Amino acid sequence: MRRAGAAAIAPQVELLPRQPQAEADTLHGAALALLQYTPEIALGDADTVLLNVGASLMFFGGPRALARRIRATLGALDVRVSLGMAPTARGAWLLAHRPGRRVPRRTLTLPTLTRRLDALPLALLPQAQARLDWLGDIGCHTFADLRALPRAGLQRRSTPDLLPALDAAYGQAPELYRWIEPPHQFSRRIELMDYVEHTDAVLAVARRLAEQLGGWLTARQLAVRRVVLSMEHERGRHARPPTELELALAQPVWQAPQILHLLREKLNHVTLEAPVIAVSLLAPDTVEQPAVSTTLFPEPGGTAADHARLLDLLVARLGRDQVRHAHPTPDHRPEAANSWGDALATPRPPQPLPPLLDRPFWLLETPLALKLSGHRPQYGGQPLRLVRGPERIESGWWDPALTVRDYFVAEDAAAARYWIYRERDAEHARWFLHGLYA
Amino acid sequence: MTPERIHPALWRATQLAKGAARNLPTGHASLSAELPDGGWPLGSLIELLTPHPGVGEIRLLRPALAQLETRRPIALVQPPHRPHIASWMSWRLDPRQLLWVAPQKPVDTLWATEQILKNGSCGALICWLPHVRPESLRRLHLAAQASDLLFIAIRPASAAQNATPAPLRLALAPAPGGLSVHILKRRGPVCDTPLYVGLEPGALTPSSPRHAPLDRRLPALPAAGRTTPALAA
Repeated sequence: MRRAGAAAIAPQVELLPRQPQAEADTLHGAALALLQYTPEIALGDADTVLLNVGASLMFFGGPRALARRIRATLGALDVRVSLGMAPTARGAWLLAHRPGRRVPRRTLTLPTLTRRLDALPLALLPQAQARLDWLGDIGCHTFADLRALPRAGLQRRSTPDLLPALDAAYGQAPELYRWIEPPHQFSRRIELMDYVEHTDAVLAVARRLAEQLGGWLTARQLAVRRVVLSMEHERGRHARPPTELELALAQPVWQAPQILHLLREKLNHVTLEAPVIAVSLLAPDTVEQPAVSTTLFPEPGGTAADHARLLDLLVARLGRDQVRHAHPTPDHRPEAANSWGDALATPRPPQPLPPLLDRPFWLLETPLALKLSGHRPQYGGQPLRLVRGPERIESGWWDPALTVRDYFVAEDAAAARYWIYRERDAEHARWFLHGLYA
Repeated sequence: MTPERIHPALWRATQLAKGAARNLPTGHASLSAELPDGGWPLGSLIELLTPHPGVGEIRLLRPALAQLETRRPIALVQPPHRPHIASWMSWRLDPRQLLWVAPQKPVDTLWATEQILKNGSCGALICWLPHVRPESLRRLHLAAQASDLLFIAIRPASAAQNATPAPLRLALAPAPGGLSVHILKRRGPVCDTPLYVGLEPGALTPSSPRHAPLDRRLPALPAAGRTTPALAA
């Protein structure tokens, strides 16, 4: 149909130029994502991806379950597909291209495939296109009619690749395909159709990229430790460097849903400063996929990997500084010894246990100056009674924070315990609250 | 015919509930005797109400925390102050077990708590919820039921006036050498008098004649339906 004809029938239609490069990219992306199901994937003609799933059927729970998973993966990529399944690749290709909405497209045995193919119209076969009129004139409309013709005459009078294609579809001749090779480095970029100003739309694209990353990681038997999502902004007058979102993981991962889950939490906390025109996903830091060891009895509380997943999730939403592990430092000053650090860092070897000290569980960030009533410190309006002490802590002469203190355990009228200190070098005794016994 | 023979969730109003499968001994004999099944229930919301941080809430939980598997971490979500590692080590517990989560917004606190409960890799979760809506608590309680965590929510004493979805709710107040624990809600008969839980081995109990008189009154405790007395801030 011409452009003018289309505009006359439906004036609201928006006409876009065809982009073969983008189409090829999408197809290749789909093939990459499907690598998680089988390593043997080839690109067929007419926007087809051929998968040899013979070795994967048992692992994924049978042809029906596998088809469902493949459909879900392709759905996540926003690709509309028609799935065909047959013992031969060309047979599957023909079944997938078969017109009609609710026609059977799945066969598992050769006799059923033969029956199904026999009923198909010849126009489906690309190799028959050249002599389609002639074949129609001699009353040959279906595959069955074509196979009934004498082979030698057909070979002479039609294109040379017609008979091999027919034999391959019926499983009478071997098929050869060049399987695609996953690239050595993962770096995929998707250009957006429109300016995107919300992270939700970016997430939809990130989902497609995460599926492709999952397929690539499975195919190469790798796991990723760091993922970078880069969002490119408009070029030109308002050019600005791409916004990069880095995901550091406590435990290498290779499953697409897990990567996506973390990306979602991370993206929720990002506000885009400028519209995004393209999104790319890089996996700069990969390691070998760890061998999965399964225990006979599940451990209570899950595995260490489960916990690492929790840490990743918490860090992705709350930020790296907000999730902390104890990193005790050998120092006499309580505030210096009580250091907390990154939960994703590898834990230090355990320190020798200190002698039994009476220490409060809560330590105030900054010591709180206490008022005096008479000569007794008071807190919250109540005078404090000294229970134990003093414990002298004098350390840190090499630091600006020289500590010369006498610590006491004090109790208020309700018998709540406090850890207070008196600065020793001050002329007038100054009292501070430093901890609470919880 | 005893009701718990019909179903473990049934009990007479005069007796303590029995039959919950999972619980953790509290380590305090006087407290265990008053709790259903004689311990902290696992996979259920436990509310501790404190007048202010630092009345002895962690020391009360310490024997239970010490019984957890050392492999499983203990999460502290939004604690009011910096947890002191030296104190933890002096209790002969492994500091590597501690996970301090400090969200900046209340929404994030609830989210982090729920994620930790859902993940289930931690052995215990103690979270401080100064302001929380009852719906959120109910949601956390539901999330806890699918796990086997020791899940403690520490809330201010003023929360005693409001209803709670938690099956176990204790109000804590400092007492000489220990804690006075008032069981506000439990699966069992109403507990009128606060319990005394000694937290220091060898410390003087209120009944010891030398320093504390026998008729020493325990500090006023918040109870349901009564306004909370002004407490030390």
